[in-house]
Amino acid sequence: MRFFLAGLALSLAAPACCAESAQPLPADASVSGGKTMAPQVIVNSGRLEWAPYKRDYTRWLTLSYQDRRATPEPTRFEMKAPLAGDKARGKKLAWEWCIACHTLPGDEWPGTVGSPMAHYKQFKHPDPLVFQQIFDARIFNPNTVMPAFGTFGLLAEQDIRDLVAYLQNIE
Amino acid sequence: MKTRFSLFAALIAASAAVATFAQEIPYREYEPLDPYEPVVSGDLKLSGTYQYWKDPANLDYRMAGNPDENWKLNWKFMDPPFNQAVHGGHFAVDRGEKLFRQLNARGRFASCLGVRNHNLQNLRAGYPRWRADLKHVAGLEEVIEYCGGKQGRVLQNGSYDNSSLSIYLASLGNGQPINIDVASGPMKAAYERGRRLFHTKAGAFNFACSSCHTHNIGKRLRGNVITTIYGDAAHYPVYRTQYMLQSLHLRFTECNLDTRTQPLLPGSQPYTDLEVFVTALTNGYPISVPAERDW
Ligand code: HEC
Ligand code: HEC
Repeated sequence: MRFFLAGLALSLAAPACCAESAQPLPADASVSGGKTMAPQVIVNSGRLEWAPYKRDYTRWLTLSYQDRRATPEPTRFEMKAPLAGDKARGKKLAWEWCIACHTLPGDEWPGTVGSPMAHYKQFKHPDPLVFQQIFDARIFNPNTVMPAFGTFGLLAEQDIRDLVAYLQNIE
Repeated sequence: MKTRFSLFAALIAASAAVATFAQEIPYREYEPLDPYEPVVSGDLKLSGTYQYWKDPANLDYRMAGNPDENWKLNWKFMDPPFNQAVHGGHFAVDRGEKLFRQLNARGRFASCLGVRNHNLQNLRAGYPRWRADLKHVAGLEEVIEYCGGKQGRVLQNGSYDNSSLSIYLASLGNGQPINIDVASGPMKAAYERGRRLFHTKAGAFNFACSSCHTHNIGKRLRGNVITTIYGDAAHYPVYRTQYMLQSLHLRFTECNLDTRTQPLLPGSQPYTDLEVFVTALTNGYPISVPAERDW
């Protein structure tokens, strides 16, 4: 009986999400030594070579049917004022993480998947709202294609504060 | 005693239920599951660009030359017969022919691939298909690896030699419409699994294939314009400078890597299901190899 109770408590306590859960990587993922491998085609060869990829993606869900890991669920984050963001640093981060989809001032190859960010200051959105959109946009739109940078651990709280400071000051 | 016992039983049941719940339905997100038609003209209800690329021999030169419009041709202006350039894909066809002659000296390779009555031209258009010997639906490249193996020849799925055999066999069927039947049985099941996978979000960015190829067609990801998934299977394997020769499954690994998702192995069941799905969306479109694509 104790055993079952303990089992119950454990299974309830096990995170409902998580990238880093104890579930193993699926056998059909291109992984070697626990690292993401990329295929390399060698001319006139019957073998496909594999080399470690520049980044490691093993901690996130794959398309494998054997993948038992869950997706991190939509998460709210209450941003405490003051914002205290560094807009110069935010600009650097935006050119790294956001520019693929959003048009930022000064970009000659504008992404058009997300909304254009020119004159963002004019909207006067409250900081916590913009923070939440970057932390996890699924809270506002469950079908959004915008990555949940906070929930998925791609950006830290200060990174997002810096991004908000940058956006809120785009004249 | 009785109450104790039932409490005990209830706890077992509850912990089992929680365990199976956690085991069998991990939290997943899906993009809205769109309807598609398993025929290439179904694109008219998706991107509508099919009207511009439906006739591969007569694409509009003006559109092909206009950087704001050329994506509407689904990049088909890089396929033959419109594209007459000589590129690495042609060398791959030659390599494939040489390998085929070696492997098929006694006709065994062709019959293993499923050729009937010497009708090699029809082979590509009918893959993926159910293989009774393998007891599953398989793509042509998986079967090339399997049949090579029977003769002791290593032809790993996605390797240059495997894809060059595939592109050679496709070239024999150039102009023939892709024709796979996903109306019933295991092919229908694979198609439905593939459709669902196409809408399954994964990876660090939580993208599904449909995040781009269904819901953001024509939008720009900086220098890239996203196009429809209809019609794409007809020009694979494709010549790319970066990959030399890229099979469809290797294109899936590339899209996965580009979107921060751990890729799967070529020939894995999920990739084969995706292949069935995207090939069905190419039904009725003529095979056109060797094609090239950027980088
Ligand atoms: C894959 C595409 C994509 C990426 C990458 C992306 N976004 Fe977005 N973003 C969107 C889309 C689409 C919307 C429209 C609203 C929605 O669907 O959530 C949006 C909306 C927004 C909004 C709200 C716009 C408004 O009108 O107020 C903000 C703010 C924003 N994004 C900031 C960012 C920042 C900062 C980054 C990078 C850290 C980023 N986005 C990266 C796709 C993206
Ligand atoms: C973030 C966007 C994005 C995601 C997600 C994505 N792709 Fe792509 N894909 C592209 C872009 C951009 C191209 C190159 C332009 C084109 O042909 O659409 C491309 C090209 C392709 C092509 C080649 C088309 C051709 O003409 O040769 C195929 C096939 C393909 N993707 C399938 C998939 C599949 C299957 C998935 C999911 C596993 C997927 N893509 C996920 C952006 C994406």
